[in-house]
Amino acid sequence: MKIILLPMPIAPFSCFENLKISITAVLANKTRSLLTALGVVIGILAVTLMGTLISGLDQSFEKSMEFLGKDVLYIRKFQWFGEDEWWEIRNRPDILVKNAGVIRERSQYAQYVAPVSEWWTSVRKDDESVSGVRVSGTTEDYAMITVAEVEKGRFFSRAENRSGARVALIGKDISDVLFEGRNILGERIQIGNYNFRIIGEIEKQGKFLGMFSLDKQVIIPIGAHQRLFSRRGWTGINVKVDNAHIDDAHEELTALMRQLRRLRPSEKNNFAINRQDPFREQYSMIKLAIGGTGIFITILSLVVGGIGIANIMFVSVKERTKEIGTRKALGATSRMILGQFLMESMTICLFGGLVGMSLAYGGSRIINSFFPSEMPIGLAMSALGLSMLVGIISGLAPSYKAANLDPIDALRYE
Amino acid sequence: MITTKRTINVSLILLKKIYKIYHVGGEEVRALDGVDLTISKNEFLAIKGPSGSGKSTLMNMIGCLDTPTSGDYEFEGEMVHNMDDNQLASIRNRKIGFVFQTFNLLPKATAQHNVEIPLVYANIRREKRLMMASKALTSVGLEDRMHHKPNELSGGQRQRVAIARALVNNPSLVLADEPTGNLDSKSGQEIMDVFDALHQEGNTIVLVTHEDYIAAHANRTIQLF
Ligand SMILES: Nc1ncnc2c1ncn2[C@@H]1O[C@H](COP(=O)(O)OP(=O)(O)O)[C@@H](O)[C@H]1O
Ligand SMILES: [Mg+2]
Repeated sequence: MKIILLPMPIAPFSCFENLKISITAVLANKTRSLLTALGVVIGILAVTLMGTLISGLDQSFEKSMEFLGKDVLYIRKFQWFGEDEWWEIRNRPDILVKNAGVIRERSQYAQYVAPVSEWWTSVRKDDESVSGVRVSGTTEDYAMITVAEVEKGRFFSRAENRSGARVALIGKDISDVLFEGRNILGERIQIGNYNFRIIGEIEKQGKFLGMFSLDKQVIIPIGAHQRLFSRRGWTGINVKVDNAHIDDAHEELTALMRQLRRLRPSEKNNFAINRQDPFREQYSMIKLAIGGTGIFITILSLVVGGIGIANIMFVSVKERTKEIGTRKALGATSRMILGQFLMESMTICLFGGLVGMSLAYGGSRIINSFFPSEMPIGLAMSALGLSMLVGIISGLAPSYKAANLDPIDALRYE
Repeated sequence: MITTKRTINVSLILLKKIYKIYHVGGEEVRALDGVDLTISKNEFLAIKGPSGSGKSTLMNMIGCLDTPTSGDYEFEGEMVHNMDDNQLASIRNRKIGFVFQTFNLLPKATAQHNVEIPLVYANIRREKRLMMASKALTSVGLEDRMHHKPNELSGGQRQRVAIARALVNNPSLVLADEPTGNLDSKSGQEIMDVFDALHQEGNTIVLVTHEDYIAAHANRTIQLF
């Protein structure tokens, strides 16, 4: 018996017939086919769900990063992703509100500079109250730095800020609980123990990296904040710069702060200038971990699945030895037999891939109900292609065996 | 090219000094020991002989399923002993119809689809295939069993499906290896009636049997020992 080698074993003529034979065979044994293709099902499920998950994470991450802005530098006491030892940094001086004025004057890259003081307290209206609300004191420049729009009413003015007026803008979470859709403008609320008049509402921003709601906040003039909530919470300075010069701005602000702090060249910075980049670095590492795990699971299940399919195909060739002999007697060439069995193992894998994809579609709907995400079509298609490839590879050895059977031996086989 | 002279009593098959030798555990088994045989067109030949005498081996040789260890085989002027696997497959597909003792139908396919298979390998369009398959099934009296699967048919009917499959590509030669061996005598008789009719229509038939009453249907009998 000669061993046939490539060229491409599937003659175009019998391709369609073989596909029909294979589909009939697969559908006639749905359960068996499904069990056979379980590895492929899981592999495709894993890769597609992972893709969905990452797409969802991407979306919510980008949304959160929007809040930080890519052209804003945050002067803070501590690094967001610091690796400093705590005993080195615990005695750092606080950032002062008046530093903001100096920076505004001296920086050439800063477009807007807003000091921000934060404190957490409860907000009340009559009998309703919301606790743990982020109370930010800032200046009118804050409106130019943040991406969040004022949805109703207005931001406070420079004059209101100077005079320490007790006016407030509230977040969506606050208005939802305290007012339940009623008019808010001009209404009075109690922030901590102090009365404030509402002059505006900030649009909904959602959660920050899925951790805390950005809408559970009120914004008040920094003058009032200093007087009523000072010595508590923390203060930082947000600086909006030209995106093209963000690195220069970073250097300039560092220098300015060192000057303000009168640090000698030998001394380390005792403040931090934060931006969104380290979030991105952290995030891409998380993404890499998820992606890596997903791909690992996928490859593992495809390999295991492929071996399973090869095994079943060997069994199938053995079981159908007589059929193969008969087909050869009726005029099938070795290539046609090869094509038939390759097509069959490919169809099983494709079937598994499709089942995996439908499961993944269901799964992605579930993921989507937790946070917005979508199943990446391109990835899903490549996954299907991959499952076909698994079918071809795992079908090769059994199919060659079938193709190279001697017709007489095959016919004699009982 | 077929010339007009080759119409009457032309030899379809010429076997010259055909040997088939197997080596089993160092021992030589001569399944065919120098067979010379000529089969003419429209002949109905019976091959008789005891079990193990090489009947099936000879049939496989004639059917181009097997190649001889040595000897010459000429089929309609073509030298079969020089052919490669693909050419042999093509001859089997176009010129030979096989009928097996055990029917060898695909269990999950309908009668019609079973009969269609040789035409699939001959690369014939679907509509034409279905038509030819129906015609072949009608010619063996199974026009009302077209869509039945083998397990819904009796033994005799299954063998008639197999005969329809053997006939569907209008072969030059029909080979039947003990076609009644798995049938009761009544069904066997039916099958032999079909073969008689085929012979009447001008088909060339070679049939293996070890029953004399079956061999009696043939117009020539050869004996293997
Ligand atoms: N593949 C094989 N290997 C070895 N011996 C074989 C093989 N095929 C057939 N034979 C031998 O060849 C002889 C003829 O077999 P066969 O043609 O099947 O006989 P029949 O059909 O007349 O019963 C037997 O002795 C058998 O054992
Ligand atoms: Mg025999």
